[in-house]
Amino acid sequence: MRFVIHRLALFVVALFGLSIVIFAALRILPGDVASVMAGVNASPARVAQLREQLGLNRSLVEQYGDWMGALVRGDFGTSILTGRSVTALVASRAAITFPLIIVGLLIALAIGLPLGCAAVLARSARVRALFHMMSIIGGAIPALWGGLLLILLFGRGVGLIGILPSQGFPLDGWAMPGRALLSLVLPALSVGIIVGASIMRYTRAALGGFADSGYVDMARSCGMTRTQAVLRVGLRLATPQLVSVIGLTFASMITGVMVIENLFALPGIGNGLVTDVGNRDLIAVQSELFLLAAFFLGIGLIVDVLHRVLDPRMKTATSLSEVSQ
Amino acid sequence: MSGLSIVLRSIWRRAEGRFALIVLALWVVVALVSLVWTPQSLWVTDGYHVWARPSADHWLGTDGTGADVFSWLMAGSLTNLLIVLLTVALCAVWGLALVAAMVARSAALSSVAVVLVDALISIPTVLVALILAVPLGASIVVVVIACGFGYGLNLARIARPAALLAARSSYVESALSNGAGGWRVLVSHIIPNILPVLAVQLSLSAGTAVLAESGLTYLGIGVPSGVPSWGHSLATSVKLINVFPLTVLWPGLIVTVVVVALNVFGDVLRDAIDPVANPALRRVEEGDGKAGRGCMPNGIFETDKVVEASQSCETTENHAGNAAAVAIRGGEHNGGEAYDGR
Repeated sequence: MRFVIHRLALFVVALFGLSIVIFAALRILPGDVASVMAGVNASPARVAQLREQLGLNRSLVEQYGDWMGALVRGDFGTSILTGRSVTALVASRAAITFPLIIVGLLIALAIGLPLGCAAVLARSARVRALFHMMSIIGGAIPALWGGLLLILLFGRGVGLIGILPSQGFPLDGWAMPGRALLSLVLPALSVGIIVGASIMRYTRAALGGFADSGYVDMARSCGMTRTQAVLRVGLRLATPQLVSVIGLTFASMITGVMVIENLFALPGIGNGLVTDVGNRDLIAVQSELFLLAAFFLGIGLIVDVLHRVLDPRMKTATSLSEVSQ
Repeated sequence: MSGLSIVLRSIWRRAEGRFALIVLALWVVVALVSLVWTPQSLWVTDGYHVWARPSADHWLGTDGTGADVFSWLMAGSLTNLLIVLLTVALCAVWGLALVAAMVARSAALSSVAVVLVDALISIPTVLVALILAVPLGASIVVVVIACGFGYGLNLARIARPAALLAARSSYVESALSNGAGGWRVLVSHIIPNILPVLAVQLSLSAGTAVLAESGLTYLGIGVPSGVPSWGHSLATSVKLINVFPLTVLWPGLIVTVVVVALNVFGDVLRDAIDPVANPALRRVEEGDGKAGRGCMPNGIFETDKVVEASQSCETTENHAGNAAAVAIRGGEHNGGEAYDGR
């Protein structure tokens, strides 16, 4: 319990620190923020109006206070460019990003878990080396390139077997679920292959550690074959580690799929953030960065606490790092 | 024979080590050659031959401005080499500083460092890059700082167990009681002990930095347009996809091969640099204490071979027993790392 309070306090402090970093990074733009945002041909009156609207006339401390005050009330501000509230903006983007990473993760698990287990079970050194090579190559493919290759294979119009839509998302969103899902197939596949390679590595590492352990020896001496022992006993022991790895992988995919979203022209969270940064949409970028930072810190917190609950060795440790000894 | 030549020899002896060494050497050579020569000048554009197919003049064709794709790839290898070297240097300095703080004698300092690493490690590289890109714009600095920052945290977390073991060992205690300062303990006792972990982690970071460069540059927050880099070539090739699909293959293939080489290099280097796994190294150390001193974990404590042997055993056992746990704990963020940013 003390640990949870400790960790929660740390979460708040870290989030506060990051909010200052984000705020400062957005305020030290070279030149006048308002004139950059208004564009080259804007009239001085428009620039002045924008400056007023952004509150740039006021002191930095006041601006920061306003922002924080609004955040606490759940008001994330309004995008200057589109006039939509940041909350609505993020929600509409999340409706694309989350399905994409969920499907992507499922593909990754379908690839990574069996291959990782097979790599541990393989007897011949040559087969093991082959699996090792597969995981290294899978992890070395740039996402952009992997996506391109898939478009070249399956994309409608350019591909060798052009059966799948290669870019874009239906404008009416999820109104026609079939079409929407179809347009996620190629992006999810490119994400899945790359993430699958890393899940394969973790599975092999976690399971491999237990495959030579006394637990598996014991199970074998009770009459199980090696395969049975590794899959029934070893896999169960490796589960807590795998769950926390998969959880963190899932979280990191939110921004990790940025390139893929961009390549496949999907208006998701990452892609939207890059667009907003490009447009210098100050308020939107500020709140989006804050939300993401809060999300990642939150996931880190949850994983740390969960790990402590799942792993009794953690009771006395003061931090996760100590158990890895 | 010096320690370095033995390490290189051990790497060369394995097929995958040869592959890694050849690819990396080729990379450096091409980068250096591109300083003085490329088949076509980078800035000569040929408006009559845009999107050209490969020919004797343009080995891999031309891009949308008629610039030579092959020459841009050559010049890009220099930018990427620079980014990787800077990232690895930053990652090593920042990571080692964190390791030093995490195993410091002062309980306040070490717990603050541990807690800081635990909290910040979940922030993805690409988010750091975006925060930096707002004030700085697209720049090599963004790539280097974002990668170095994240990978340094990762390095610190993974190296901590081995570093802690060394820091609390009896030989460090004896060094301290003999008047050695914190700096000296770090350089001559802790760093040698975490050298294998350090080698693997830094090569992995180098590979991830190459991938991150291509992703960030594609997103417009990495290497600025107009500066050649593999990410730039890859991003340009996206526009080529309808015209000449095969041109898309080359930049991505180069990145993939280089990243594979860096990963393999890390694996092989760990085995070659670790006296426990590499008997040749041990033999030299026994014959000539100097070779191991300051660079190999086991050559540190020359006065008392017995203590040294028991220490090294302890370290090895710890490595073997918990390799998976370490891999997972470290990897867990590395997983995000390996994926985000591209």
